[in-house]
Amino acid sequence: MKLKAKLKNGVVKVKMMAKHDMVTYNQAKKKTGNRDDANFITHITGTVNDKVVIDISTSQFLSKNPIFKFQFKGDEFKSGDKLSVTWIDKKGKTETKKAKIK
Amino acid sequence: MNRRKFLGFFGSAVALSALPVNLSADDYRKLKPKVWEAKTVDDAIKSLYGTTEMIEKGVKLKLPKVASSGGAVPVKFGTKIPAKTVALFQDSNPESAVMVYTVGKYDLTQYFVKIKMGKSGTITVVVEGLDGKLYVAKQSLEVAAGGCEG
Repeated sequence: MKLKAKLKNGVVKVKMMAKHDMVTYNQAKKKTGNRDDANFITHITGTVNDKVVIDISTSQFLSKNPIFKFQFKGDEFKSGDKLSVTWIDKKGKTETKKAKIK
Repeated sequence: MNRRKFLGFFGSAVALSALPVNLSADDYRKLKPKVWEAKTVDDAIKSLYGTTEMIEKGVKLKLPKVASSGGAVPVKFGTKIPAKTVALFQDSNPESAVMVYTVGKYDLTQYFVKIKMGKSGTITVVVEGLDGKLYVAKQSLEVAAGGCEG
């Protein structure tokens, strides 16, 4: 996962790219004949100092290696604080990435 | 985030360090599973919010008029309305729900994502206001090359 966060004028802007094939049910069916081989990220959460700053429930319809940009209020945070983003997919695999807010 | 609660969904018995109780993360995949099975946009909205009564204002939505690749359509959307959730739907894939943001106190509700569109169609963004009302914006686009749909 690539993760960048920048604090400017009281707002933290984040850009992230998760590495995931995001295989849809139809793609799985075509590839292996089994719909259940579909696998895609289903939930993403981001925290700074244990405070939730982003919370997304997701589907198979995000692009492969999905990109997300979002922003959150920065007044309670400062440069150097760590943003931690975790995703989980349909099969239960998780990945966490941390990045310092610049 | 609360990894114990997170992994607890999957019956994991791994003990993790205790994390503060003030974490909250709403997984709408678990809270409202039917939303993700709905085939039409109206059915998905009804399933998620209980109604399809929406006000067409206050929601920004920016898309290309033509997307060269249906596999990665850039969508920029957001709102200044104090919101509880923001949801994205489309009518070009087998199911219509794409994602649901749970808006916490820090989230500024300005988003960008890239999504799959199986063919030309309409993208719908619904904002669930803290005032209990639903706000909506829709926009259509053409997909030049048949995209990787569901």
